[in-house]
Amino acid sequence: MSVEINQLHFTYQNSNFGLQIPALSLDKGLTAIVGQNGAGKSTFFKLLMGLLPLQDGNISINGKGSHELTGRARLTEIGILFQNPDDQLFNATVKKEVTWSARQITRDRAQVDQIVESALTKVELLDKADENPFDLSLSDRKLLAFATLLATNPQTYLMDEPMIALDWHSQTIVLHILKQLADEGRQIIVSTHDMDLVAHSFPRVITFDHGAMVFDGTPTALFGSPAILAQAGLLPPRIMQLCALLGDTNVYLTTEDYVSKHQA
Amino acid sequence: MDDSQQISLNKVSVAYPGAERNQLSDLTIKTPAHQIIGILGPSNSGKTTLCRLLSGIIPQVMRADVQGEYRLGTLNPTANWAEINRFIGYVFQNPADQLSGMAETVATEMAFSLVNLGQSASAIDAKVRALARQFQLIDQLNQNPATLSGGQMQRLAIACALVTDPEVLIFDDPTSQMDPVGTSQFFAWLKNQHDKTIFVTSTNVDALCNTVDSLWVLNAGQLVASGTPRKIFNQPAKSELIPAPVVFNLASQMGWALPDGDYPVTQAELMEATGHER
Repeated sequence: MSVEINQLHFTYQNSNFGLQIPALSLDKGLTAIVGQNGAGKSTFFKLLMGLLPLQDGNISINGKGSHELTGRARLTEIGILFQNPDDQLFNATVKKEVTWSARQITRDRAQVDQIVESALTKVELLDKADENPFDLSLSDRKLLAFATLLATNPQTYLMDEPMIALDWHSQTIVLHILKQLADEGRQIIVSTHDMDLVAHSFPRVITFDHGAMVFDGTPTALFGSPAILAQAGLLPPRIMQLCALLGDTNVYLTTEDYVSKHQA
Repeated sequence: MDDSQQISLNKVSVAYPGAERNQLSDLTIKTPAHQIIGILGPSNSGKTTLCRLLSGIIPQVMRADVQGEYRLGTLNPTANWAEINRFIGYVFQNPADQLSGMAETVATEMAFSLVNLGQSASAIDAKVRALARQFQLIDQLNQNPATLSGGQMQRLAIACALVTDPEVLIFDDPTSQMDPVGTSQFFAWLKNQHDKTIFVTSTNVDALCNTVDSLWVLNAGQLVASGTPRKIFNQPAKSELIPAPVVFNLASQMGWALPDGDYPVTQAELMEATGHER
């Protein structure tokens, strides 16, 4: 289960923005991609997703060239969650939306029903199965888009900002499922601006800045490097921002982390 | 206080056509205008519906059954939208919903409302450039809005809402797609907007607490609490619906209380509670 990238160079037409990745290997488990707006996160995702043409270099996904993967083979290898759920919902009901995805995997009706029920149960949308997706709140539409991924149960989950537009309870649901998938050996690659989330839940974080990869390591190493944070225009988790105000510049990944180190 | 300086909702309920239950039920509150009000609540609690009602989009543009009375100063947004629309800037939850789709560049998108008002080219250009600088869009002015990143698009949506300098601003989760620096710049800018009436929803509880004068907490379409962020989170029956800001969690676990016994919810209050000079 891996994504291998070599000598990747990409530039948009009529734009001076380019993405360059000399070499990158992504293993199973949770990996966060961070960086400012415009740093290249979505470009990176679109290249992995095959939505942008590969100009130079190569990307292999679980041993296959990313641009060779088509149709159903692609769906079982990669699940894609777009930043805006409206980019990927097109059916008349919540249930039909997930059924469409499940039917890419199997045509067995009983199996499809079971997959759909399981996916909708996980994201807590089963009671809305007969509603029109566009009558749901943005948060629920995002959960629904996630459920369609769960239905195809791919090896690799590529998720562009999965937490935005989710309310707090839904964020908890998604995070719980992501951790479960990682434990089952799935590969989860997530772009996010939420440094608190990166700090408490991601063992590996990759940082982009102006189209270049400037960091690849643990959150502890990233948030302990003020120079990299400044270069990439990032802020540390909120607990560290507060501690800095109080004159403590140590690395704390969570509030509990700080409290346990300071209570007698 | 004079009613012309008040926001008042009196038993306001909103139901969408065909919906089984009210999206908002029996909202009653009277509070001074010209302040920043944060709206918090879980999913489906009615935050977006409330924003639409406050702006008059409901029922003037989007059909819904509205009961009760709503006044914004002397204005009656639910009845006279043409009059109030000039005074209101609205930033949608999903920035793609807001942009015209007709403009080929960021600059023309920003200029749209000003062109409609018949302003001169030089005045429009000056205004567009000033806002582009404020919201870090200066390098994107000639770019097609459709090619912007999510956070840039959100900054563009904000700039477009501000271009006519409206007195009332309504922001529905305006920073959801912005990077941390962009988010903190936005809230720092927002905190300095005086003499405007501003409503803002966000899931970023910490940023809201640092910025707003008061919070309205919604749950299942009802207004379940209102007051300063400090009072809201220090209530004994603090709702489980909303996570407390990191400041509050930290201070309450460390026993860092303010002189009156409340735990801090803003950075300034944290400094006070821990005896640091600002």
